[in-house]
Amino acid sequence: MSTQVQEKLPEPLQDALNKGLLKRLPITFLPFTRQQLRDWGYLFPYERRSILHLLLYLASLNDEQLASLFREVIQLEEKMGVRGWQFSTDEQTIQNASLLARSPYYQDWRKAVQKVFDAADQHAEKEKPRGAESNRLILLAMPQRLPLDRSKVWQGWHGVGRPLRLDLALPTSSGETQSPAEALLSGGDGGRLLEVISRRSNASPADAWIVDAGTGLVDCALQQEPSAAGAPTATLLSHERLATFRQNFSREVNTMRKDLADADAVFDHLRKADVTPWCPAEVASAPVIREFLRTLYLSGNGALIYGNSFVEWSSSEAFRRARPSFLMAQFGVRSKPKPFTSVAVFENPDEVNPLPAVDDLPGSALDAQELALYVWLAASRYDEYRRNTVCLCMAENLSEAYVVAPPEFALWRETEPVPLNRLRAALIHWLADEHPADS
Amino acid sequence: MEPSPDFVSRVIAGGSEGVVDRSRRDFLRAAAALLVGLNLPKSSLAGGGQHGAGGSGQRAVIVIFGGVRHSETFSPEGLENIPHLSRDLLPQSLFYPNARNEGVTAHFNAISSILTGNWQRVDDWGKIAPTTPTLFEHFRKRLGAAQSDTWVVASNKALTSLIGASSASNYGPVYGANVVFPKQLMVAAVANALRAGRSRNMADRAKIESELENMLEAGNYEGLGWTVFDAADRLDPRVRGIIEEAITTFVRDGGPTSGDELTFLVSREVMRKFSPRLLVVIFSDVEVAHFGSYALHVGGIRTGDRLAYQLWQEIEANAEYKGKTTMVVLPEFGRDPDGSTTNGFFNHRGDTDSTRSTWMMALGAAVSKPQIVERPIRHVDLCATLADLLGCPPMESQGSRLTEIRV
Repeated sequence: MSTQVQEKLPEPLQDALNKGLLKRLPITFLPFTRQQLRDWGYLFPYERRSILHLLLYLASLNDEQLASLFREVIQLEEKMGVRGWQFSTDEQTIQNASLLARSPYYQDWRKAVQKVFDAADQHAEKEKPRGAESNRLILLAMPQRLPLDRSKVWQGWHGVGRPLRLDLALPTSSGETQSPAEALLSGGDGGRLLEVISRRSNASPADAWIVDAGTGLVDCALQQEPSAAGAPTATLLSHERLATFRQNFSREVNTMRKDLADADAVFDHLRKADVTPWCPAEVASAPVIREFLRTLYLSGNGALIYGNSFVEWSSSEAFRRARPSFLMAQFGVRSKPKPFTSVAVFENPDEVNPLPAVDDLPGSALDAQELALYVWLAASRYDEYRRNTVCLCMAENLSEAYVVAPPEFALWRETEPVPLNRLRAALIHWLADEHPADS
Repeated sequence: MEPSPDFVSRVIAGGSEGVVDRSRRDFLRAAAALLVGLNLPKSSLAGGGQHGAGGSGQRAVIVIFGGVRHSETFSPEGLENIPHLSRDLLPQSLFYPNARNEGVTAHFNAISSILTGNWQRVDDWGKIAPTTPTLFEHFRKRLGAAQSDTWVVASNKALTSLIGASSASNYGPVYGANVVFPKQLMVAAVANALRAGRSRNMADRAKIESELENMLEAGNYEGLGWTVFDAADRLDPRVRGIIEEAITTFVRDGGPTSGDELTFLVSREVMRKFSPRLLVVIFSDVEVAHFGSYALHVGGIRTGDRLAYQLWQEIEANAEYKGKTTMVVLPEFGRDPDGSTTNGFFNHRGDTDSTRSTWMMALGAAVSKPQIVERPIRHVDLCATLADLLGCPPMESQGSRLTEIRV
């Protein structure tokens, strides 16, 4: 990365490294570990804590214990013949991933690696202070324009929560152009969601995320941000506002030939490129987010192509890497594939084909319906979101939401349509209750 | 009590109340009921049986989809995406609801495993040929079949012409199949037009046709990665004619214009012009799933369903194929389950049933009686089965012959 943030590693970790910790690790652990250490300045607080726990745990083991922990991994590395591969021990490459994935022992290796991480997690769990946990909120919006089908929209949730009727009539003060989701975020008489989260003792931009296929939510949040001199209160990602970043990135990706070495060369180039000039102001000023996006785009999953895929994949990665207390995501509308040229899906369709773009509303609705569920499923993989978390997914065209929440959430048993102001108040109340779990 | 035919047809159509709540086992049981006691009319049996020189006289068409899950296809909720497979073809087919990919669930390895009968673990990007002989090579070497008798027509961008022949000693490209990537023609034409500043042409059907045909010129053709009649540097004039015919239909008919549509049209022209005895057609519109559009993924399944049916109709209408052809339809693998760390339907990397367990359908001459075979089979079983069907001596394969498919 051209604009590397030089940040010192925590002293105990640096000590462990000085004592030769890396030399004691199996080969297949090295690319991940070295990359994490090199990118320390670009890791979220949660990631830093995780890698710190892992490496200090490994450093605390004597040779016999470490050999026992890694025995299976090392045996599998020998069976796979990793030492004979062109395997990078410096960073995770596509070549590495490909070599591992086509080994007959790949699945066994994955399970063995998982066991090591599980052991480290168990150790960390024992050491974790038994403190209170703050409430969390995941707020998803499928906009009015998406023609969702009432009979199918919540089928994939398999009854994990319940539908909640909404009265989405906008207060007159909100202005005609605001969507219900934007009105929820922009605030009313009872305050604003972002203000509540920013008042928390551990507040940081990594703890509150706004992810938008369009620009509406992020524009709303930007209007609420303190002056330029103040620290940002949230991580703001808008697919539309990132158009320049995406176009430049896509152009580089499209130079890639069908060859692993070439793919790694392109990826290496993209890892080092100065992307700051391609970023909107809210991203350019936050190196951690800039690098989050670079990694996100390199990892594929449609984030460079479709706004809804960007929303789903960046939310999923936010949960995995940052464990935010508040995430609000709004889906959008993609265009229909253009005749003939849609096969060249990597290209910018408007550049390739001058025919005007046509919105695919039913297709976008189905995409959003599936991907909203995926956002919840991504969060629910982690312990942090299995307790005091409210997930509320709004289908604006149906004036309905699906709510997954603990019974103490104020609207959990509500049967009447809930107006926006009351919904906002309930969500603010939920987020404001910082320490309910152990009370 | 036997279920009435009306009940069974409602089950197949997914239209009866309560069907959506049935377990997969119930679903299969209901589908099996349709087949009980059914015997196919003589005309569709192996009666053709022309055991002429160089084999059994039988023909095989293998249709391979990309990755599709049971949940979007052969499940109560998936049936609406495959109306032709479930309503038109299932009732006359031999259906294996658990066909497993136990190898690498990436495109080149998955397809080359099907075509060699051995789990391949080569480069994912098609830079290394399969290490054991393909069915094409075996068929051509053992029975002296011509290259025009073996074709691969594929949409998948992860393939290269190395899919047509192995690196095995005493085999290799000299016994390989013709390999054509129609979608690559379209991708190359788009790139070419862009480079030359002619992107406006992409909005004009007549100009698209000429852009596509330009790609068949000697200088452009080389970049398409095809192997046709051993010539990598120029296109055989006979083949050029059929590709032009397919392009004309593709551009002028006003129908859908995805990569799989062009693959189908080229396959059909190959059947009409060369009547290959072993044809492999690989569709991949479903792989738009990698970009996260569920709607387009499901659209790709529907396209594949329709095109597989149209291929079957071509077999039934073409005198060279009717009555002596077995068509096999199977996906390369499934896709990852919802909620997986690999992002669900986007990818196919998981070691789960959702990713490894698919289905396989066989139709035509080698299917004497429609039935559902619940016994799990493996993708590598197909090659040995088809080798036998085509009259080849047994192949060295990790798979076992499927005894239900026979003439």
